[in-house]
Amino acid sequence: MKLFHLRHIDWLETQLIYHAQPRVNVEGINILAPNSPYVCIGYHQNLEQEVDLQYCSDNNIPVFRREVGGGAVYLDGNQIFYQIVIHKDNPLAAGRKADFFERMLQPVAITYQELGIPAKFRPVNDVITEAGRKIAGTGAVEIGDYIILVGNLIADFDYKMMSRVLRVPDEKYRDKIYKSMTENLTTIKREKGKIPGWDEMVDPLLRNYEKVLGDLEPSELPEMVREKMLDLKPLYLDDQWLFKKRRISGERNIKISTDVNIIQRIHKAPGGLIRTAFELKDDRISNLSISGDFFCYPSGAIGELEKILEGTRLSVVRDNVLKFYEGKELEIPGIAPDDWVKVLVG
Amino acid sequence: MATIENFEFPDELFYTADHVWARAEGNTITIGLTQFGQDVAGDILFVEVPAQGREVAKDEAFMSMESGKWVGRVKSPVSGKVLESNAELEWESDLVNSDPYGTGWLTRLEASDLGELDTLFRADSNEFAAFIAAEKKKYKE
Repeated sequence: MKLFHLRHIDWLETQLIYHAQPRVNVEGINILAPNSPYVCIGYHQNLEQEVDLQYCSDNNIPVFRREVGGGAVYLDGNQIFYQIVIHKDNPLAAGRKADFFERMLQPVAITYQELGIPAKFRPVNDVITEAGRKIAGTGAVEIGDYIILVGNLIADFDYKMMSRVLRVPDEKYRDKIYKSMTENLTTIKREKGKIPGWDEMVDPLLRNYEKVLGDLEPSELPEMVREKMLDLKPLYLDDQWLFKKRRISGERNIKISTDVNIIQRIHKAPGGLIRTAFELKDDRISNLSISGDFFCYPSGAIGELEKILEGTRLSVVRDNVLKFYEGKELEIPGIAPDDWVKVLVG
Repeated sequence: MATIENFEFPDELFYTADHVWARAEGNTITIGLTQFGQDVAGDILFVEVPAQGREVAKDEAFMSMESGKWVGRVKSPVSGKVLESNAELEWESDLVNSDPYGTGWLTRLEASDLGELDTLFRADSNEFAAFIAAEKKKYKE
């Protein structure tokens, strides 16, 4: 397989390259990083809903919508991207999606181990440390007859900027995202106390990928890929592509790792709109905040409901909501216990 | 109903090699993902359905689905124009997993050439049974 080892390049090219390769039938593995930061959203996301566009514009942070799935992410030169573009008929592409992810992410886990960070692949598509913290971002897409897997070695991560570029309802929610990310996502720098040199990280990565992909042949990026990147550039920067409406906004889910999500949900009950934001870890609710334009007497009851539901598993939310109502003189007109269940469990 | 490799395939439907089913009612073709197709895909988290009125060609990728950060494409089994899409999927994409031949349908097309259905598999054909057996081997082993 061809190896396109490009090191730090223009931020936009780091995305255009793997969108171009399948369109000109060029298989390969790309190793690269952006030379300036940008925000990248998932294919099915709504840009305006996910990203604080004013902040990005004020700070000259460009925004890109990739064809790969997943959520919004702040990317910069401290993340080394690996992008594998492979034809569907290539035996390496065989099997279920989960198998493909495992085959292509094991070399990443082994690379971390060789860097002194005990890490392992966790289905479906995570690489995690011994402490269960995520240490790679990954995703995949089918374009034409090709499958593309993208991911990164996270040398360092700007948690503050990541939580800053996201669009949030209030600062409390932003703080929730920041705390959850620092607790559940780690980096080489955090694990080892320093950022190794580029080759120190990339050499083992290539060696481990070679065991899966076969010989990697260092190659110049073909001119036809560069030409296709130029063709695609205006399409991917066009507002119609960037601002395309993809998802309904009744629910928002910021995935921190496979089993940690920050969820924001809105439910229109007869008595008014209920908004919730909470962290869901191992199927348990934490840091729940409830707001909305409904009437509630006594006013402190909602705080009490938040406390009762702290640590609750989704499967017993209904039972705990019913307990909350038991023996209380509550006035929450137009909102029934099942409305709370709806806005919490979905 | 045919059962092949423990997966169900209703007799009245047509099937593509991409695990899409098609139901013909006059010129109206309803399409969806087969029980096997949804099983291979895993939990469907998002479905992007095509807009009403869109013209599509047979085998054109015209929809997308996301499962576990993987964006896959759905190819049209026939040429035609989109009549309507399943709006429920924007809220409940998991219907594709839980009821693939029923409420998890994807979109309806007005076919421009019903003859294209003849190129698709039927549930009771030996060719289809062999194809699904080979696919199961490819995906599950």
